[in-house]
Amino acid sequence: MRSKGSDSAQSRETETPIQTKELSPVIEVNRTELSPDLRSAPSLGDDQVLLRTDHLTKRFPQVLANDNVSFSVRKGEIHCLLGENGAGKTTLAEMLYGVYKPDAGSIYLKGRRIALTSPRDAIAHGIGMVHQHFVLVPPFTVLENIFIGTRSRGLLANMTQAAEKVRALCQDYGIEIDLNAQVWQLCVGEQQWVEILKALYSGVELLILDEPTAALTPQETDKLFAILRKMRADGLSIIFITHKLREVMEVSDRVTVLRKGRVVGTVNTADVTRTDLARMMVGREVVFQIAKESVAPGPPVLEVDDLRAYDDRGVEALRGISLTVHRHEILGLAGVSGNGQRELFDVLTGVRKPVSGRVLLEGEDITGKSPAYIASRGVASVPEDRIHQGLVMDFRVGENLILGLQRRSPFSKGSFLRRNEVRDFAEQLISRFDIATPSPDQTTAVLSGGNLQKVIMARELSQAPKCLIVSQPTRGLDVGATEYVRRQLLQQRDRGTAILLISEDLDEIFNLSTHIAVIFKGQIAGVLDAERATLEDVGMLMAGCEGTL
Amino acid sequence: MTATPNDSAVADSQVGDRSTRWRFEPRIGTSRWWQVASIFLALLAAFAVSSLLIASAGANVLEALQAMGRGAFGSWSAAAETLVQSTPLIFTGLAVTVAFRGRIWNIGAEGQFWAGAMAAHWVATNVTGLPAPIIIAVTIIAAFAAGMIWGGIAGLLKARYGASEIIVTVMLNFIILFTLSFLLSDAWQDPTSHFYQTAATPEASNFPRLLAKGRLHLGFALALVVAALVYVLLWMTTLGYEIRALGINPVAARYKGINVATTTILILAISGGIAALAGAGELAGLHHRLRLDISTGYGFTGIIIAMLGRLHPAGVLLAAIFFGALVNGALGMQISTGVPVALVQAIQGITLLFLLTADVLARYRLTRVRPDG
Amino acid sequence: MDSLLQATFIVGLLAGMVRIAAPILFGALGELVVERAGVLNLSIEGTMLMGAFVGFLITYQSGELWYGVLGAMVAGGILGLLMAFLACTLKVDQVVSGLAINLLSSGLTFYLFRLAFKNVGSQNLPSISTFDVVKIPLLGDIPFVGEILFSQHILTYVALILVPSISFILYRTKFGLELRSIGENPRAIDMRGLSVTRRQYLAVVFGGVMSGLGGSFLTLASAGLFVPEISGGRGWIALAIVIFGNWRPSLILLGALFFGLIDSFQLSLQAVGVKMPYQLLLAMPYILTIVALVLNRGRSQGPLALGRPYYREERT
Repeated sequence: MRSKGSDSAQSRETETPIQTKELSPVIEVNRTELSPDLRSAPSLGDDQVLLRTDHLTKRFPQVLANDNVSFSVRKGEIHCLLGENGAGKTTLAEMLYGVYKPDAGSIYLKGRRIALTSPRDAIAHGIGMVHQHFVLVPPFTVLENIFIGTRSRGLLANMTQAAEKVRALCQDYGIEIDLNAQVWQLCVGEQQWVEILKALYSGVELLILDEPTAALTPQETDKLFAILRKMRADGLSIIFITHKLREVMEVSDRVTVLRKGRVVGTVNTADVTRTDLARMMVGREVVFQIAKESVAPGPPVLEVDDLRAYDDRGVEALRGISLTVHRHEILGLAGVSGNGQRELFDVLTGVRKPVSGRVLLEGEDITGKSPAYIASRGVASVPEDRIHQGLVMDFRVGENLILGLQRRSPFSKGSFLRRNEVRDFAEQLISRFDIATPSPDQTTAVLSGGNLQKVIMARELSQAPKCLIVSQPTRGLDVGATEYVRRQLLQQRDRGTAILLISEDLDEIFNLSTHIAVIFKGQIAGVLDAERATLEDVGMLMAGCEGTL
Repeated sequence: MTATPNDSAVADSQVGDRSTRWRFEPRIGTSRWWQVASIFLALLAAFAVSSLLIASAGANVLEALQAMGRGAFGSWSAAAETLVQSTPLIFTGLAVTVAFRGRIWNIGAEGQFWAGAMAAHWVATNVTGLPAPIIIAVTIIAAFAAGMIWGGIAGLLKARYGASEIIVTVMLNFIILFTLSFLLSDAWQDPTSHFYQTAATPEASNFPRLLAKGRLHLGFALALVVAALVYVLLWMTTLGYEIRALGINPVAARYKGINVATTTILILAISGGIAALAGAGELAGLHHRLRLDISTGYGFTGIIIAMLGRLHPAGVLLAAIFFGALVNGALGMQISTGVPVALVQAIQGITLLFLLTADVLARYRLTRVRPDG
Repeated sequence: MDSLLQATFIVGLLAGMVRIAAPILFGALGELVVERAGVLNLSIEGTMLMGAFVGFLITYQSGELWYGVLGAMVAGGILGLLMAFLACTLKVDQVVSGLAINLLSSGLTFYLFRLAFKNVGSQNLPSISTFDVVKIPLLGDIPFVGEILFSQHILTYVALILVPSISFILYRTKFGLELRSIGENPRAIDMRGLSVTRRQYLAVVFGGVMSGLGGSFLTLASAGLFVPEISGGRGWIALAIVIFGNWRPSLILLGALFFGLIDSFQLSLQAVGVKMPYQLLLAMPYILTIVALVLNRGRSQGPLALGRPYYREERT
């Protein structure tokens, strides 16, 4: 969904020079290590092509996900599929993996046309996939997860041979993992190794990775890239799906850019710059940083003091976390998912009770209070999972705009709802936040992701909160919606709201934050000034090392 | 329930020179039209099966259906009796509606019915010497309170201990039935009778008749009032808003400050209270004696009524009257053609199954897809 | 003299415990498999009832007990198929589907019973001669234990043997591994190209067959006659046992035995002539189920994907 006025975007943005963050020296060296034949050969013979798609099309209700997509992947290449959220990358990958049948077009593997009716076919053809959201079974062990569904003799689940094979793979690729650990105990990075081992175990020639670095620290990302390069050296082909330009430049040989389901072009990575790719990806000039005026932070609004809390499994997720958010400040909380962000969000919004510690709002102790009370004191929140935590999808838009506010006047009087007031309020918000819906009576389920987020933000911001807690606010949104949300956050900051921004997107953190706090294993590993921090510093803290501050 | 996409089925068809493809696509949101149409589809299919069952009883299908129709609506008195039969179903249907709207599976309407009947009986035998309207008012309040308690227990256990309300309400059904059975053979038994039943309740506590002839009693009028109140509750109060939100998305409800525990208890209490009114109505309006057979599974039929009525009071009224007609008509059918009255019970479950199946159609739609997109 | 009476009482009590536990055990074990596959099947009660009825009817007509058992299993399988169709193919809400099948079974058995046995009152209910108790040679002669454990109906032995068998299948075979995966994260299986639906169908139909079998026990091994609603809530108790048996076969066995004990105790007291309102005793299993659920709070909530229909594509 394109936001309105995308063509006038150029006039809205101020032309600021592109700021690239410092890449660590190790990676710089590897950047020059491109295979010589790729740099010189503009076109290759067919025998170098491993996989080719020809006008691949896939339609879903209300959306054309892939529109005549044609591209090819060579043997021994790392090929990136680049596009913003909703461009159709995952759908394309899932067609290559047999999850979906194309509505039109064909797939050729080593010159022969193949039909993939299920992932079983794909695996048999040597195509493996690591999905964006892992498909692991949490209570099972690593070995069991790798073993399920593989071809083996007999009816019994005898995993001794499998164990040997997996250990050999681990040795080969330098992966360290305990085969008997239960998957839920592993951290996200380790879980990804399990996913990769699953594919390697079945013997892949083509490995598809869908946004694999979303939940990795920069250091883990480097390790992943090292392994990918080894795979490439071994002759494997890799399709690497991402929307992060930095990664494309770092690891790929060629990149195919998708936009709104169509192929914009396929280029050699060596021949392009980030700006070129961005322009291909979005269709217009994209600036990497919104002009941000610096505002001096005011007095503290939200104070978290030595908070301890457990997660759903009874493991301690917050281990004495302390932070402070001031007026006119955006405190960006960076960190790999699974380090306590979710539990922190839950405690601050009142959904989870902490075991010890305090939360103060402008001096008032709100520790352990109910969500309704905390909200009434001026804390607003935008949750990570907008569909499940923030909205009632079957409700009308108007009803969702008062979710959580239904007991406040003017929306209710006594026990009764005042429907006219609710309606007026909804209409005002729809207009003010430019929510694309014909009326407040529209069922919320039909709205696009960006508009759903607008509904939530409209609702939360309408109460002029003192403190705003947002978690992954632009996840899954296209560039237009992303810009809108980020602009809203900056506006709120300017108005004086104290904002805690929990995000796994480091670009976003650097873009918006006044200060950056890094959460690691339920504690704050360090707080940095956003103006002076580097990616490296943050990365080190995210991985649990003491950086040079 | 929001539709989520599945792998769609695609059918090709040639239209003229251009090939257009038709596609059975999941729809986002639901279609009002289909929600109503699927009810009729379900009823149609149920009728087909009933005919089969009637035939298996060795009776002439057409004759049997006609006898049923006559029994249900053939005369004014038949129609009034149909409403009598529908009265307890309206109550239990509404009770289940309130619960299901909050995604609370109250399978205990049957036990709550008995709670109401027992409370009504207690009031009738112990509250004497007051003008009849007062006794009746007390009866209604006591019955509702008894149902609130019996339903509230399940609500409390779910809120505090996470105990599945499905199992708890079913267990409570049995427990109260055994309790009643005990009382009917012991302290409450009519001393002049061998049967397990109470003595007849005093005249003053009986619900007045609404018509000169026939058995239509105050319970029916009360049911209509409660239907209206349920509508007001669900769509015009903040509690109703919270019930509906909780029913669709309990996670978001919790995050946005709705007190899940309190709401759960309230839902089961209100639901229990409404179901209890069914028991009060049957006792004070119809039978005037507490026996184990004054319910023919009204609590469970209420589930079907609620689903057929699409969890809406207006739909519940219609569905209840329809089923009341079935029951009433079945008596006439049995007399004329010998088909067991139990047919109605057989139909009930079948109808619900067909409705669930037909509902799936409401989630999809047929669209035309042009090849060039 | 007293000690002898004591011994006979206890032996009778425990033998009764095993006997009464058997039908519940069938239902619970079947439901264990179903729930491990991620489906919440509430139709145990109705399926048991249908199994009891069909088993009785077929035995009555044919004179052969085993035909009745077979018929009950087939009837249970058919209801299981229906449940699988609703839950796994149509992806209708599983709670409502289960309830609907219960209602269907209630009504249908009632109607067909009336049809098959016209003009029958509570005085002259049709009856059949039930399964004999089968004493296992040698083992059945052991004093005390022999009478309790090794002098039971064949079906009881089947139920007991099923406990380790199902445990083996679930935890030692590939099929069991795949099935349990579906209960936790069906996508893991789907993304390997294995059919989630097919495995769920197998599990649910198996559950139906088990419940049908358990129901047939009620009429063919216990009562020898059929009355409407003879299942008497056992299906619901079986459901509860799976929960506080923490989805493990061994604990489920203990749970079933516990309920058998309570019911057996109540019967024994009646037989001995203890002065107590028998309704209170009858209500004990149901009261205890509630107590057990309350005490169970905070323990494992079962397979992660239980009750949620699986869609290949989730809305983000």
